[in-house]
Amino acid sequence: MNSDSHWLWHALIWGVVLWYSTITIWVAIRGARDIRDMVKRLDEEPPPPPES
Amino acid sequence: MTSFSWTIDGSIIGLYLLLTMAAGVWLRKRVRRVEDFLVAGREMNLHLGIASLAATEFGVITCMYAAQGGYTQGFAGALPGICQALAMFAVGISGFCVNRLRDSGVMTLPELFEKRFGRFVRWLSGVVIVMGGLLNMGVFLKIGGQFLCMVTGLDLGHLVLIMTLLLIMVAVYTILGGMLSVLVTDFLQFVVMSLGLLVVTVMILSQVGWGRLVETVETHHGAGGFAPWANPDTGWSFIVFQMLMGVAATLTWQTVVSRLLAAKDARTGRRVFTRTSFFFVCRWMIPGLWGIAALAVIGWKPLEFLSSDERAALPAAIVQKVEASELGKPFAALSATELVAVPPAVQSKLNDAALNTMPKFLSTFLPVGLMGLLIAAMLAADMSTDASYMLSWGSVIYNDILAPFRRSAWPHARAIRWNRCIIALISVYLFTFGLLYEIQGNVWAYLALTGSIYLSSMSVLLIACCYWQRANNWGALAAIVCGAVVPVLHLSFEKIPSLAPMVASITKEQAGIAAFVAAALGMIVGSLLKPRPQSA
Repeated sequence: MNSDSHWLWHALIWGVVLWYSTITIWVAIRGARDIRDMVKRLDEEPPPPPES
Repeated sequence: MTSFSWTIDGSIIGLYLLLTMAAGVWLRKRVRRVEDFLVAGREMNLHLGIASLAATEFGVITCMYAAQGGYTQGFAGALPGICQALAMFAVGISGFCVNRLRDSGVMTLPELFEKRFGRFVRWLSGVVIVMGGLLNMGVFLKIGGQFLCMVTGLDLGHLVLIMTLLLIMVAVYTILGGMLSVLVTDFLQFVVMSLGLLVVTVMILSQVGWGRLVETVETHHGAGGFAPWANPDTGWSFIVFQMLMGVAATLTWQTVVSRLLAAKDARTGRRVFTRTSFFFVCRWMIPGLWGIAALAVIGWKPLEFLSSDERAALPAAIVQKVEASELGKPFAALSATELVAVPPAVQSKLNDAALNTMPKFLSTFLPVGLMGLLIAAMLAADMSTDASYMLSWGSVIYNDILAPFRRSAWPHARAIRWNRCIIALISVYLFTFGLLYEIQGNVWAYLALTGSIYLSSMSVLLIACCYWQRANNWGALAAIVCGAVVPVLHLSFEKIPSLAPMVASITKEQAGIAAFVAAALGMIVGSLLKPRPQSA
């Protein structure tokens, strides 16, 4: 049972490293674009009406 | 002796801090409405959402308790992350509760509850959410400071200074820019944090080696280090509690919910959940591996955390027993009389030995340069978590607890000012609580139990609100009270010496499960007891 568990945890840790590396690169590129778009949309919005 | 270099590592950290502060302050002028401050004008898109949720849910505190899990339970200690990942993926795919929550257009959970259960339930839900959340995050700052002291080789006497600096930096950009600043800084922090986590993990795998890590777990934990159900410290009650917590946290944990509510629409929110879900495995596996590596390299040496004077002041019999103690339980072999002979400050250091072994290991394992990257990564992790938590719980205080004091909607400028004041007050609380409160035992068990004060009742309320026609305010009130009573009593009684032995016989996991059961029963019984309104 233990050798099966070792294999499972070994696969999981390398799965974690691979998945996390991929998602970091992907999110780093696309997230920067999201920020640019978000700021652009916020700048285009009219300011709230003045309140008394 | 730590390998931290103030010139090289200090420059890396300084550059990171400069960038973060600049990004955080840059957005303050775009905060014009209270919605901008609390939910970023609901303009958050998918990738920013993933970065923000991941950065928020990984703090130094996460790294420390997950490493403690790996250190004291082996690979089985990563189970909570696997449960949370499964829960988040299932909720994201199915849209269970979250579709209705996002489509309702609310800014917080209690606001949704008002529509179904009335104003008082909204207010009380807000109080319970804030109570559980603030108790939970109260220890973040101190543990973050402890980590930084350990890896840089600073004496723990500098803890207050480190806590103050951390808090000031986080509070400045959160108070100025609200959720907008938090999202952008979260993004930067995600990138820096991920880089640091990955590099250190690969270094551990290559230098300590997989074979040695497995051998260490086998030696110290046996089969239970690989299979949670075979581990006496985890077992079935631990597994059941983690499953319940995973589902409840996905549905109602305020920082998670606020990402869903800041998303452009329900579909984007669900995609953030499904695509971030595996991160919860990473957030336990990576530090867990660091904890196992610390056990392999350093072993269990609690007395090494004491100064030579403190060690010399202890009676020889106590020193022997602590030295030979079971992993993670330095006082297990001491009698009550012997324990009284150990000064509180020494007890505290020995109590934290399992927690602090991982940063101690990293302080000598990493070379100059990588040490700077690790600290920048951990600062990133800690700042993003603290900022999001302050904002999330601040939003509930403003939106729900203070709601009865607003007869009409406040002007945006006044509302933003109030939110800023609330966040400043939470900062003061964080600082004070962190210095005064001492956690007994495992950090994750404490966090899970304080979280269950509201996770149990709020998840029951949300599910009933969305799917049970018969649910009403009687049931909601009963669920809130029942769900909070069990963990609050457990936490209070363990601090009373005469009741502590009795409380110790009930694990925190069993108390947490009891909170969920009590909340569900409260909702069912309370709702059924209320007479149905007579139709005309």
